[in-house]
Amino acid sequence: MSEQVWAYSGSGEVQCELMSAALELAEKSGRSAVAVELGRQREEVVAQSRLVVKGAGDDPLPEVAAEALTRAARSRHPSTILVGATRNGREVASRVAARLGWPCLSEASKLSIDGAQLQANRTVFAGKVVATVSCGLPAVVTIKPAFYPKSTASGKEVDEFDAGELTGVVKLLSRRKKEAGAVDLRKAKAIVSAGRGVKRKEDLPMLQSLAEELGGALGCSRPLSSDLGWLPEECHIGLTGVTVKPDLYVAVGISGQLQHIAGMKDSKVVVAVNTDKDAPIFQASDYGIVADLYQVVPAIKKALESRR
Amino acid sequence: MRIAVCVKHAIDETELKTGPGGRPVLEGAACKVSVFDKNAVEEALRMRSAQGGEVVAFTIGSEDARKSLKEALAMGADRGVLVVGAQASLDTGRTARTIAAAVKKEGAFDVVLCSEGSSDTYSGQVPPMLAEALGTAYVGYARKIQLEGGKAKVERLLEDSVEEVEAPMPVVVSVVSEINEPRYPTLIQIMQASKKPVQEIPESQLAVDPGSSPVAVLGMSVQTSSRKRVIIEGGPEDAAAKLIQELEKEGVLR
Amino acid sequence: MVLLAAAYIVTYAVSLLSAAAIFATVFVRSRRASAGLGAGRLLELTREEARRSISGDPVFLMHASIALGVGVSIAEVVLAPVLPALFALRILLLAVSVPATAGLAVAFAWRVQRFVQSKSVERSLHTTGAFSSASTRMQGILMVAIALTASELVVAWLPAFALVDAAVSIVRNSLVVAYYVGPTVNLISRVGTRLPSVETPFVLSDIMSGKVDASTVRSGVGDYPDFSPKESLSFDSCVEIGACEASCPATAAGRPLSPRVLMRKLSLHSDAGGEGGPFAVVGEDELWSCTSCGACVSSCPVGVKHLDIVYDLRRDLVARGKLDKEKAGMLENLARSQNPYGFKQSDRAKWAEGLGVQTASESSRAEYVYWVGCVASFDQRAQRVARSMAKIMKSAGVSFAILGQDEACVGDPARRLGEEGRYQELVYQNVEKLNSLGAKKVVTTCPHCFNSLKNEYPRFGGEYEVVHHTQLISDLVRSGRLKVPPDRVREVSVTLHDACYASRYNNIFDEPREALGSSVSDVREMKRNGEKTFCCGAGGSNYWFKVPEQRTISGIRAKEAAETGAKAVATECPFCLSMLEDSSKVMGTGMEVRDVAEIVADAVP
Repeated sequence: MSEQVWAYSGSGEVQCELMSAALELAEKSGRSAVAVELGRQREEVVAQSRLVVKGAGDDPLPEVAAEALTRAARSRHPSTILVGATRNGREVASRVAARLGWPCLSEASKLSIDGAQLQANRTVFAGKVVATVSCGLPAVVTIKPAFYPKSTASGKEVDEFDAGELTGVVKLLSRRKKEAGAVDLRKAKAIVSAGRGVKRKEDLPMLQSLAEELGGALGCSRPLSSDLGWLPEECHIGLTGVTVKPDLYVAVGISGQLQHIAGMKDSKVVVAVNTDKDAPIFQASDYGIVADLYQVVPAIKKALESRR
Repeated sequence: MRIAVCVKHAIDETELKTGPGGRPVLEGAACKVSVFDKNAVEEALRMRSAQGGEVVAFTIGSEDARKSLKEALAMGADRGVLVVGAQASLDTGRTARTIAAAVKKEGAFDVVLCSEGSSDTYSGQVPPMLAEALGTAYVGYARKIQLEGGKAKVERLLEDSVEEVEAPMPVVVSVVSEINEPRYPTLIQIMQASKKPVQEIPESQLAVDPGSSPVAVLGMSVQTSSRKRVIIEGGPEDAAAKLIQELEKEGVLR
Repeated sequence: MVLLAAAYIVTYAVSLLSAAAIFATVFVRSRRASAGLGAGRLLELTREEARRSISGDPVFLMHASIALGVGVSIAEVVLAPVLPALFALRILLLAVSVPATAGLAVAFAWRVQRFVQSKSVERSLHTTGAFSSASTRMQGILMVAIALTASELVVAWLPAFALVDAAVSIVRNSLVVAYYVGPTVNLISRVGTRLPSVETPFVLSDIMSGKVDASTVRSGVGDYPDFSPKESLSFDSCVEIGACEASCPATAAGRPLSPRVLMRKLSLHSDAGGEGGPFAVVGEDELWSCTSCGACVSSCPVGVKHLDIVYDLRRDLVARGKLDKEKAGMLENLARSQNPYGFKQSDRAKWAEGLGVQTASESSRAEYVYWVGCVASFDQRAQRVARSMAKIMKSAGVSFAILGQDEACVGDPARRLGEEGRYQELVYQNVEKLNSLGAKKVVTTCPHCFNSLKNEYPRFGGEYEVVHHTQLISDLVRSGRLKVPPDRVREVSVTLHDACYASRYNNIFDEPREALGSSVSDVREMKRNGEKTFCCGAGGSNYWFKVPEQRTISGIRAKEAAETGAKAVATECPFCLSMLEDSSKVMGTGMEVRDVAEIVADAVP
């Protein structure tokens, strides 16, 4: 068996993205890409080749997932293990790297391989700087979600590995869906995002209706969710909130602090409305309108309505 | 209750300057305590006021990193430990092993608190790696922690779900910023903090395993935005109409 | 008959004794509170009381009537044996007692109305039953004392009731001894203390120089023994007159604060042992609700200084890290960026771009340093005030310079929030800069900056001649240096909103009106103006955070402004400008809100 590039994520969706990355890397280095799944084969994962690790159960805690992966890796010797940089994924990757004694690259995009060296790009300093990092193989890598497209290459090759009995010291007492958060901003095609320029909570419906007119959802910068509590935390776009990349991002009354830009900079087209012509958001926008949002937002809405 | 809290002396990205060749100027760049670490310090202080005991803040870096320790001490930590000669880097494994060695040297802790990630690199790897190196339990992304009977009951905030888990102590916990409101240290408290003990440990004394293959940084470049940066002029109606035209051309309107 | 005579003599003697007891206890307790009873002090007290009473302030009218009434009735009792013989003295006493009786009647009516309102305030504050009954008792005593004094004044003219008169005076005098000596002593001890004075818990330079060990520094009050004797006397002196509650903007807005309830809670709780310290009975938002407008202090007839207590309790909250993100964020901005917004200091002079305004380092020979303040430096709306002021000074040929990025926040928001250390750090930084430039005169468009620079900076080595911009403008108009051509005087009605820190704190009343009068045809007054002005809601650092409330303070004020029928509101403070402009929009009053400087600058060619 040739050396493999493994891809693992607890999220099926992220797993499909990882498979793109794994395939790309495998092709470059003459290796094969394998989707590693714990417990059972998941329908939502599209892959040509899979390795199902038995023993971990469905949806294990990261501690157990890490041990399952570690045991599988000790037995099968992959060259690289890609893990989705989700909250659980970061823990799994860190633990696997520590247990195997492998180096770990994090939050990677644009992977490449050069002989025995693995190279990746990643952003640092709140997205302001791109760093190129490298390490020797074998290695663990966490891949930034939403960077790679979902792989569509499917196949039937399935392998199994029995990890034996797996237990952890952390006990799961309960698990529930996160409260509120009706809309998943990560999937929205258009986002209207509100910032401190919005004076009162009562003004948010005005932006919500603009978002609906655009066929999208309402998000916000950190102060509105964390400080003011006007919107749920799920709406907070930024470094510590959700990272989004809609086709259209309309920043209303957002000054454009780096923390925020880091969460929306991959949007296709960015529009900013702000009274301060020097607001940094304009540097991160395609189209800017320097004016009072209370005048411009209704005008945009009217223009959109008349377009229909 | 002995509580360790890890703080990172991180480059302040808002003050970062661009040097020749589009490279960021890291030499002598302004640093401050990684903002999310204040949540970890705050949680440590709340644990101490509920359970009694001691809060020890750890950091690694140059002499300048004392500033970040001082911040934790001003907030209320009892003492600080600075590992000098080491540098927190993208080699997260090495960073974690260094902190683990320093923590071990200070004796047994019941809880080691970290933030979910640092403001400069936001890898989120040091906390679990630290637990691995210490051989303790680990719970990440905590938004609520209850300590009782040698166990930590933790509410974890994940992307789509909330989990309640129980871990035996000693335990490493990383906290999310939703967990609390970090306190503001007053100027007097900052001045008083300079009298609190800070112990320096040279990295060489810790005999940290360098690892099989270090993570190296090959290069860095400041992101230049490729945005169009068109400012649309005119009154609200005019500007709105022009904007809609442009967005239609971009093909982003439904 | 003999029995009656004996009863009369005994009653008369006791009455005399009770009157003497009042003076004796006041004298002794004043000495103990080291508030000397010198003639100068009493004269100043009398003068201030008379001034406030003549100005028609009902609270002071009431207060003066009570004092007068008590005095006259005592005099009547003392002089009773000789009074029938001295006709002139009788006339004199009559001349005094008639207005005093009338004043007491007004006071009684006002007091009853306050009683009704105080109960509704207590309901909305959810005070405990024990508090409410204690408060009812205290207010009852006050009303009884008023009623007794009034009836005594009347009875005195009926010789047949001399015995009743003396008996009534005994009861009243006993009440005075039991309840009103403390307040009187407090009032005496406060003579000469002006509203702007803030207690300084420590001096940063002493700590920096090592004269004082930082670890011994206590900032704020977490328990009753931490209050200074002056502060304890202050809240213990509250006899629930209710003037503070009637004038407090926080109470009016339905915020969880009444200065009366706050003082009484502390007094009753500390008397009962004070278990758990002040915070067992005082809420955090109760303290944050205060806008430091000073209406309570200025309206209190017995000299209670509520603000000292609010600041000390806030300091303790700050020291214990009891701050939400808005408050902590503002303080962090001050620490990092020297302005409460967190903007870059290098952008501080951006408002002046293209105006040819000099910075003081280039031109230190300028007559005035124009202290712009953070709001007018960074807030886009308020920047127009700075530009207007620059235009006015240029037009009048005043040589001035700004500090540009060397101007740091004056410190006021930090001090009022309770972060004394950060406040003093900013003060020392500014004093060093101003002194190094040899600044002599400072003009500022912000009354908060004005108040700090004028009243607080001298304590830290910064002594300058500080003027508020309305003072400078009126001066320039009066001296003819600033000319407004008659055809440029706008035909418009404007009402002036006095800023608390300019008017109540610093007695600036006439100058803004003069300045305004130079440029508009009709200046109208709101019901509450001058030292009785009503806050805009931004003071005491309230601009930087939110407090639960039923209606906005600025909304109440915007409505008062609209009631004048004027077309525009003139402000003299960038915070007032921002608050009132917002509420004029929200309330839909349609009133234009502009700073005095903007209005005058428009009229200047």
